[in-house]
Amino acid sequence: MTLLAAGQARAQGAASRRDPGTDLPATPKLEVTDEAGRRVNVPQPVRRIVSLAPSLTETVYALGAQERLVGVTDYCDYPPEAQMKPKVGGTINPNLEQVVALRPDLVLATRALNRRETVEALEHLGIAAYATDPRSVEGVLVSTARLAEVIGAGERGEALAANLRARLAELKRLLSGRPARRVLFVVWSDPLVSIGRGTFLADALRWAGAESVVDSSQDWPRLALEEVVHLQPEYLVFASSHSEEVERDFEALRERPGWRSLEAVRQRRMAVISDAVNRPSPRLVDAIEQLARQLHPDAFETKPENRSPGVGTRGGTGPDEEFESDEREEACACAR
Amino acid sequence: MRPLTLRRLLWICGTLSLVLLAVVVAALKLGAVPISVSDLVLSLGRVAIGRSDQLPSEYRLIVFELRLPRILLGILVGAALSVSGAGFQALLRNPLADPYVLGVSSGAALGAILSLIASPHLPLLTPVAAFAGAALTIAAVYFLGRRKGQLDGGTLLLAGIITASFLSAVIMFLMTTLSSRDYRGMAFWQMGDLSTPLAEGLRWVFVLVLIVAGGAIYTTAADLNLLLTGEREAMHLGVHVTRVKLVVYLAASILTGMAVSVSGAIGYVGLLAPHLMRMLFGSDYRLLIPTSALGGAIIVVLADTLARTIVAPTELPVGAMTAMVGAPVFIYLLRRGLQ
Repeated sequence: MTLLAAGQARAQGAASRRDPGTDLPATPKLEVTDEAGRRVNVPQPVRRIVSLAPSLTETVYALGAQERLVGVTDYCDYPPEAQMKPKVGGTINPNLEQVVALRPDLVLATRALNRRETVEALEHLGIAAYATDPRSVEGVLVSTARLAEVIGAGERGEALAANLRARLAELKRLLSGRPARRVLFVVWSDPLVSIGRGTFLADALRWAGAESVVDSSQDWPRLALEEVVHLQPEYLVFASSHSEEVERDFEALRERPGWRSLEAVRQRRMAVISDAVNRPSPRLVDAIEQLARQLHPDAFETKPENRSPGVGTRGGTGPDEEFESDEREEACACAR
Repeated sequence: MRPLTLRRLLWICGTLSLVLLAVVVAALKLGAVPISVSDLVLSLGRVAIGRSDQLPSEYRLIVFELRLPRILLGILVGAALSVSGAGFQALLRNPLADPYVLGVSSGAALGAILSLIASPHLPLLTPVAAFAGAALTIAAVYFLGRRKGQLDGGTLLLAGIITASFLSAVIMFLMTTLSSRDYRGMAFWQMGDLSTPLAEGLRWVFVLVLIVAGGAIYTTAADLNLLLTGEREAMHLGVHVTRVKLVVYLAASILTGMAVSVSGAIGYVGLLAPHLMRMLFGSDYRLLIPTSALGGAIIVVLADTLARTIVAPTELPVGAMTAMVGAPVFIYLLRRGLQ
């Protein structure tokens, strides 16, 4: 699927790609279909990018295209230097004036966070806006590779997707034969909000050797505590960049009626993973590995000689640092 | 009441139009991206002499493609809400009537949401459904607000507020249960927002409807003056009460439905503008309707300019601005009425 889309894009782009130095009306365009099914004419080469979602900002960094990123949202906090980029407001209501003033060749949006009206308004202003809509872990990989192709970082995108895919395959091998842990993914504890079956988060849990006890058709179902008491999940999973805070909150939950009737709460069976899991970006795989290690520690402890080099070391200590150390250095080298 | 001459009407409306123009120019200048006065004058001048193609493309996009359409939308919405507010106030003989307070805006929003769920690809259906929602809501509030066959001011307001809260709950239910990915968010329908430009095709429909429905209310202005003294008295003076009420009821519902379908439920404008104009120029409906239209336009453009700029580049919903001013005024008027 990736190859197909990429191949198509390349075929259409090849004829029109020439002379990157001019900014005349006759700028070559690459016609692509985005993940919302819209036709988008992307000026080539893409030199100025505005991202309208944290996951897209992360993806652009992971693709080594951060030099071309000229605008981000107020919520784009990873990697930390992304916060230094010019801001265009929130995700639901970005300031279109600010976007226009940044003279982007391409604006990146995502259906889960941005509104259709924003994308339509940009289109109306003659600004190319490309929307992604990943709904599974595989979808994130495909989406990343496609996006890479659109911004002219195709090789980098394929390498990144291949690397992520290899890590997922390794994870699958390690976890094979182990029964999935029944978990409750806590998006918010008061009121209790969890995830529905159609989200990429539910899929991420499956990759980490877990399954959500909640099976809702809504994306962010609000749950009654009694239902959770009835379901008795084996683990509670929290996503946060501040694990101490979660532990404090967890201690508070132990005192509260309802929560204290949960076996998982009484036995302190909880997993805290990076909030990267909330974002459909390449870092999602870090969070999946992190969760798998906490839910199935025995799968990782034994037989260390079986792990393939460069794969098994990831995800255990802190995905942020790892991203810093290898991914981004490569990215910088690439951009220069 | 001072006698109304054509001269006085034109003078007052002319002055208000100039105020509106000044507000529009200020709104064109202010925004997240700073634009100097000289640049603005220069670009306005270039457009005036038909040389808009010489403008730098960012300025053209920001001033003429983003700010101007939004300001024009604000003018249309402000005028529509204020005229319908003035209409409801006469119809219900209650100075506190406002499409938002009475739940009419929520009814229109619910209608619009239902139409978006039923068929998202018929752009004209949304305002029509919003009108139906508005008309049904005001009818319901009207009948709920009666006690012993008489329209009772306090009961009417209570009926309106409770209807609004009921309808908001239904909207909340729909937005939560249906996959809301592609619909505008809750904040839009409950607080109002002008950031989405009007679809090209709807622009002229909206202007036309504003003129026709506003004009229809205006034709009843002399009768509305008499109606203020009481229905029976007006009837004795030869006013066709049922016809007048029907015209105002339908036209005011159309205006509210139209406004809500494109900008969500912006509150209190229909209360603020007519009251301000009454204080300034008296309560003659022949003067009140056009001045309310202009005043409402001024208020919404001002409020939206504030909403765009005070925490830029983040935007606030315009309804938050109008409610921050409108709700205290509402309380003040309510308490004054009680004494």
